[in-house]
Amino acid sequence: MKRETSLLTRVLLYCVLLTFTFMTLYPIFWLIMSSFKTTQEFQMNRLGLPRRWTIKNYPQAWNIGGFNQLFMNSIIYTVTSTSAVVLLSLSAGFAFAKIRSRATPFLHGSFVIGILLSLEAILIPLFLMSNAAGLTDRRLGIILPYIGMGMPKGVYLCTEYIKSIPDSLVESARIDGASYPRILASVIMPMAKPVATTLAILNVTGVWNEFMLVNILASKGSLKSLPVGILKFSGALASDYGKQFAALVIGMLPMLVFYAIFRNQITKGVSAGAVKG
Amino acid sequence: MKASVAGAGTARVSTTRVSPARIGPARMSGARREERWAYLLLVTPAVLVYWAVMAFPAVFSVGLSLTDYNGGPLRSRIDPISFAGLSNYLKMFRDPFFSISLRNNIYIILVSLFGQIPLGFIIAYVLHRRLVGMRGFFQSMIYVPTVISTIVVGILWQSIFSPYGPFTEIMHKFNPVWENTLFVNPRTAMIPILLVIIWMYTGTYLIIFLANLQKIDPQVVEAAKIDGATEWQALRYVILPALSGVIVTCAILAISGSLQSFALIFAMTAGNPARRTSVLSLYMYDAAFRGAPDYGLANAISTFIVALSLVLIAILKVVEKRAGGREE
Repeated sequence: MKRETSLLTRVLLYCVLLTFTFMTLYPIFWLIMSSFKTTQEFQMNRLGLPRRWTIKNYPQAWNIGGFNQLFMNSIIYTVTSTSAVVLLSLSAGFAFAKIRSRATPFLHGSFVIGILLSLEAILIPLFLMSNAAGLTDRRLGIILPYIGMGMPKGVYLCTEYIKSIPDSLVESARIDGASYPRILASVIMPMAKPVATTLAILNVTGVWNEFMLVNILASKGSLKSLPVGILKFSGALASDYGKQFAALVIGMLPMLVFYAIFRNQITKGVSAGAVKG
Repeated sequence: MKASVAGAGTARVSTTRVSPARIGPARMSGARREERWAYLLLVTPAVLVYWAVMAFPAVFSVGLSLTDYNGGPLRSRIDPISFAGLSNYLKMFRDPFFSISLRNNIYIILVSLFGQIPLGFIIAYVLHRRLVGMRGFFQSMIYVPTVISTIVVGILWQSIFSPYGPFTEIMHKFNPVWENTLFVNPRTAMIPILLVIIWMYTGTYLIIFLANLQKIDPQVVEAAKIDGATEWQALRYVILPALSGVIVTCAILAISGSLQSFALIFAMTAGNPARRTSVLSLYMYDAAFRGAPDYGLANAISTFIVALSLVLIAILKVVEKRAGGREE
């Protein structure tokens, strides 16, 4: 291909890209460097490399923040809600796509409308309902809303995907005498792996980073997830810079690792998940 | 994907299903019944969870916004909830913090629509047309901010722009007496937030545009080029029209995303100084959870947020029709 874009355009483009790169790399670099300084050193030396490297901030931040508990909670919320969203969306999507029923337009439509519903629209009623049902400060009270929030996109994506699986596959399995749940498990699920992956990735990143809901529904320390736990370091512990920065690094790492491993699937998932209601 | 789905849909109508009716009336009712049971079994769990935690609360919220409920048991004899008409909405519209929050939300919407989306598109186009090198690297650099927890991003950038952060240090190299009042001055406190919002979400649009650019048949672009179209003309007359539907989807995502920027601002400024960086979601949070709860007002705010996003999306659709978008 011949280069027809002018030199000026290309210089300009590189400037934009390098600005973004700098804005991503420098804060992370500064954060990591600062996390290896004692708070005293940070007061004197805010930009440079640590003169005396120390890793003490990390174990201290880990203990103060109770990161064992935070990680465990985040993992429980993410794994259970994601598995439930994928499983429920696939079953409902299968029924909507392959079993004829007069209820489908209404039921399926109710999910599609939900794609536009934001957490803001339901936060306060959820809080009041969870109080009334005695679900505040219980894991189930946090997991259930996460499942519900994942359903609209999940059902929409799964229904669309399963519709594209030929009917003949379902019908021949029917003729062989397979029940619908059996067809779901042995015909549909293996074929729906791509959409299940997309959905799982959207849900994992969404729930892992979710803050607003868990902050309201979990007042007990033992139920808090990573984002809520990390926020503590910017409030009461804000002036203890060394530990604050270490906590931020700890909070940032899991998703960076996740991105490094699943980069391509995440990219695909994000573009496939870009659906409007 | 859309095309294949539509294809399967029509195929389903034209091929006659292997209908149990041919087997005999007795077997038919049995098969029908099994079909119904299977449908119920497969759909009920999803519907129950979703309606309980999404659909019902959404309706409940509108209901609560018309009452004076402010805590305590929902059914109480001592202090029964009474109908308050639109008084919560009137209170909201008269509240100066409502207009501050709305204005900040509008800034965020504008920055998303006219900052993130064009930037995301330009960068996607540049990467797709291979106008620069190191494409995978740049793509990651722009996308990575999106995957990091919003709370971490918020605290990190708050530190960067704070008096003890690198921004101040760098400014001091130029002007040693410069005083960092970014987050103290109500006039400037939104600027760092808006910058971070552009930085954080441009990557999402980059990814969406990139995926859809790859769906455009490269031969169409090449043909235009052979016919003498410049890079710019190919972009204007071939690529942009092909992406009009995607642009609308992105705009919808940007609008609804902009109304949800709670966690970032909560972590960066918590709405301060003097609630001048509040947004509608934070305003709602404050009404419900800071100080004495005013659930009526808070639900009026959340209803307003939903209504606002629906209205903006409707306007967008009208504009799209006027502009003659060729969406499916």
